[in-house]
Amino acid sequence: MRYPSLIVLIALAAASAMPPPAARALDDLSKYPDLKGQWQRIGPNRWESRENKAPLTPEYRAVYQDNLDRMEAGGVGDMASWYCLPQGMPMMMSLYDPMEVVVTPQVTYVLISHVNDSYRRIYTDGRDWPAEGEYERTFAGYSIGRWLDENGDGRYNVLEVETRDFKGPRVYDGTGLPLHHDNQTIVKERIHLDKSDPNILYDDLTVIDNALTRPWSITKKAGRVPNPKPMWQTAVCAENNSMVRIGKDAYYMSQEGYLMPLKKDQPPPDLRFFKPSPK
Amino acid sequence: MVSNRSSLAAVALAATMSMALAPARAADELRYPDLNGQWSRAHAHSQWDPSKPRGLAQQAPLTPEYQAIFAANLASLHAGNLGSDPQVYCLPSGMPRMMIAYEPMEVIVTPETTYIRVDHLNEFRRIYTDGRGWPAEIKPTFDGYSIGRWIDRHGNGRYDLLEVETRGMKGPRTLDADGLALHKDNRTVVKERIQLDSANRDLLHDEITTTDDAFTRPWTVTRDYNREPHPVWPEFLCTEANNHIPIGKEFYFRSGDGYLMPAYKDQPPPDLRNFTPSR
Repeated sequence: MRYPSLIVLIALAAASAMPPPAARALDDLSKYPDLKGQWQRIGPNRWESRENKAPLTPEYRAVYQDNLDRMEAGGVGDMASWYCLPQGMPMMMSLYDPMEVVVTPQVTYVLISHVNDSYRRIYTDGRDWPAEGEYERTFAGYSIGRWLDENGDGRYNVLEVETRDFKGPRVYDGTGLPLHHDNQTIVKERIHLDKSDPNILYDDLTVIDNALTRPWSITKKAGRVPNPKPMWQTAVCAENNSMVRIGKDAYYMSQEGYLMPLKKDQPPPDLRFFKPSPK
Repeated sequence: MVSNRSSLAAVALAATMSMALAPARAADELRYPDLNGQWSRAHAHSQWDPSKPRGLAQQAPLTPEYQAIFAANLASLHAGNLGSDPQVYCLPSGMPRMMIAYEPMEVIVTPETTYIRVDHLNEFRRIYTDGRGWPAEIKPTFDGYSIGRWIDRHGNGRYDLLEVETRGMKGPRTLDADGLALHKDNRTVVKERIQLDSANRDLLHDEITTTDDAFTRPWTVTRDYNREPHPVWPEFLCTEANNHIPIGKEFYFRSGDGYLMPAYKDQPPPDLRNFTPSR
């Protein structure tokens, strides 16, 4: 009996000798799902489908229809990213370009290089919503997340996120499907890997917005690129953007560098501040 | 008895083994310095070498050709023109200028990659520390392709220095707002030594050595950053508030009420040949 006791004592001593920070770090790192790598969109980037129409209020259905009519007439519509503004939440989760997810115990970072580098910090450190003066309204919003172990196996498998405090203008997609101009949007998400395929990632999004008659839910899907050392691109919108905004009007820049109308019979910009050219 | 003893020994051994392996992984995580938080540049002014006044007093080791380009740009700036600073039209600073950190900087350390994000012009670096070699082909970006190596200088089991080399940049890039030019061939190589101050863990140093064909010798400067105790993260959107409008090879201003204005005296208006003449 002495030997087992001795061995057990040695084991217990070894266990108790482990420095607490190391134990904490181990606990932290082993509990999170592996979200490393490059994720690309699977499926359409549009939000509405035949089966799942946005429950827009009559006012915002009219706003949307007006935008569609203007696009039909040759305009660019209400998508601010034409002018290099970020898509913001929730549009950015359509992954127009690849996404990287960096998980740390305190923050999960969502990195997408589209238009410019879009960047979400999802705080998972247990904080509460910040008070006035402790945050700035942004296109991506302020996100607080919570990791859940829904299977009870000691490993997190779902990241629940709530995002608020936006600025605008924001739309859902390239059709100009609008969010309310009051920017009171709340986005709730459940981000999780597919149970049978860890290379598929789901983002179940629910949008609460004053342009909607009820919360609207949609699921976005992404696939992990097999290359463990993927190439990452850097989108610099200002580098090649051929859209020019002067006042409330948009114009197109030709390859030769001439200003062009975007739609038939569009008047040129007002040049009142230039000296008339000598005749 | 033997059986009991063996099984107890096996259990104890397994416990010890698992303890031994797990902390090894945890300890690996703990080997990295704590670079979490928000870092703001410690230097009030943003000339490239913070230890010297701006302009020609920087004493940049420029070749005669690039010294002439720099002097001409300074003269143009003094005459009221915009100069050659790419930031004027919302292009990113790129490397190494982004390390001026015009807006707050975040450093995210993982064993495989250290990420550096500066909110100014959405600049973002991935510094690969996974032991990879240089790729056969690098698609040039403003921020370049960075490979790093963590070093434990004191042999105490903790990394205290990140050595980085960055190549594969694109242009145009300058070193500061005065237009201190890098060579148009974009063959810049930047080497950095990033480390916390040995006496103040809230002070970060980046010793930056730039080798460039516009220089007669490598040029080393050190930039410092202070950790903010209560960070608020801004969203810096150059295109949101930028009133410089590039049309062709010319720049114009946008007035507060949305009219196009000349950027300098007697500037001709843009060519409107693609618009239908008004009756």
